[in-house]
Amino acid sequence: MNSRSILVMAVALGMNTTNAWSASADNSTLEQGRYLVRAADCAACHTQEGGTPYAGGRPMETPFGIVYGTNITPDKEYGIGAYSADEFYHVLTEGELPDGTQLYPAMPYTAYHSIPRQDSDAMYAYLMSLKPVNIEAPETDLSWPFSMRWTLNFWNLMFAGETPNNAEDQSDEWQRGRYMVDVLGHCGECHTPRNALGAVDTDQHLQGSVIAGYEAPSLTPDKLAARGWTPTALQTFLREGISDQGSMFNEMYLVFHHSTRYLRDEDLKAMSVYLMGEDPPDARVVDAEHSASADSPGRRHYLNVCAGCHGAQGQGVPHVAVAMKGNTTLRLDHPRNLVKVIHDGIDAQKFNGFERMQAMPGFADKLSSAEIAELVNFLRQSWGGLDAIIDAAAVDELTGNSEE
Amino acid sequence: MTTEQSKAAVIPTRPLKVTINGEAQPIEDIPEELMMLDYLHEYRNLTGTRFGCGRGMCRACTVIVDKPDGSSEEVRTCITGAHYFDGKTIRTVEGHAQRDEEGHIDALSTVQQQFLEHFSFQCSYCAPGFVNAATVLVERLQRKPISRSQLEGTISEALESHICRCTGYVRYFEAVRDAVLKTPGTTKEAS
Repeated sequence: MNSRSILVMAVALGMNTTNAWSASADNSTLEQGRYLVRAADCAACHTQEGGTPYAGGRPMETPFGIVYGTNITPDKEYGIGAYSADEFYHVLTEGELPDGTQLYPAMPYTAYHSIPRQDSDAMYAYLMSLKPVNIEAPETDLSWPFSMRWTLNFWNLMFAGETPNNAEDQSDEWQRGRYMVDVLGHCGECHTPRNALGAVDTDQHLQGSVIAGYEAPSLTPDKLAARGWTPTALQTFLREGISDQGSMFNEMYLVFHHSTRYLRDEDLKAMSVYLMGEDPPDARVVDAEHSASADSPGRRHYLNVCAGCHGAQGQGVPHVAVAMKGNTTLRLDHPRNLVKVIHDGIDAQKFNGFERMQAMPGFADKLSSAEIAELVNFLRQSWGGLDAIIDAAAVDELTGNSEE
Repeated sequence: MTTEQSKAAVIPTRPLKVTINGEAQPIEDIPEELMMLDYLHEYRNLTGTRFGCGRGMCRACTVIVDKPDGSSEEVRTCITGAHYFDGKTIRTVEGHAQRDEEGHIDALSTVQQQFLEHFSFQCSYCAPGFVNAATVLVERLQRKPISRSQLEGTISEALESHICRCTGYVRYFEAVRDAVLKTPGTTKEAS
């Protein structure tokens, strides 16, 4: 047998294998696989903006360089079409390709490590049932020394397989919530601070982190409650992308679209139990305008350029602009997100059904850094129940104007 | 407490000083929460600026702010407080045509003339926003000319957020293109 016919035979066998697998998976397995793939938000990295789902190519900026999500459609050349279910499980939970190549931990295999084999198989069956897309994702090219993938073996020795919050005595609902949040949802990839080697710091699990200039806030029960969250509000926020506490923006807006809006009510409830506890702390209520001066310059800026949409009393306008009263972003200890949003604006947003939020313009050309600081301090004091702590220099630093 | 005092306590005001269409307006105490559109309508009787969606979406309420550096920009008056304009100089749709000493119109601006010639308006609700936006565009190109080949794309980009619900955009588009081309110094040959 010459080498060409071996190749043909191998391809034929490979096709048979995958077809056999997809064919053998019943509809409920495929449905479960789709649910798990969504819950794991694979699309976040493996789908390019406007591109074919799961065909790869979305650039992720990391402190070490740009990492591209790969094609995970069942294409044999560029996708995962040649993987067996065993190999898929190994890649998913160990971060190692069948040929021994180590994946960069941008692939959250440290979180996916605890995905059970049964779930992995359902995800595999679903991905294998998709139409293969013959597209090569751009190659990841990190700077040295991070370009040396073999060094990841040491990284894995140090950091992989650490599972935070593994409390055996908690309820089944809590355990399910933990699985949804820590394993499938890999929330900690953004909401947990990282150490200098890019590993999530398990000692500060879900205590908040800063990514590309925006804060992924702390998800600990006391911090969530201090920012006005209740378990019910969290469930609404994840399912609808919008709640009395505000709307999702920045990276979380994409997470909503790809993932959280598809989650079942019982899983959303489990997530809220895991995040806020079986006996959640009371959400803090801020007395409206409790400390801001009625004649502060910040209030004048608010009435001049914000109140037209957010309301003079911070009440918001449905389907146009979120309320400031009760808004969670105003209550973050650090004013970073508030400053960034005011400076950069938010694109128009689409939520479930007919729910929309209008585009918010950035005010970089309307307000000086000093005025943004005054406005942010007013918002923090009036509806955030927090102190005025920011000045023009800090605004410059947060918005990248300090070097100009 | 007198009636006057209790009224003042309910609706806080601040003095507003603004120049509109070349004329410094009398300084008046204006409610601090008043939107600029209401100020134009109710205090200045300038009703050409339209209230469309009331949420900053349709751009019918757009006016021009003339900045100290000589540049001009669009601002939506239905969502911008009157006091944002304190100390500023603005133009509304009433301020484009040349007028004689008695206030009668002598000549339309190039943009207005082109809109008429192209039958760009039907119901006219969006017209003030389009007149102001096109004027801002022409003035920007006078300061920073572009090559002729970039003109169509530049017009689309500059006016795409303005909404018209009757005549469609083609007549507006062609009118703005002619207005630009009839204004010297706005385009240059590609080098």
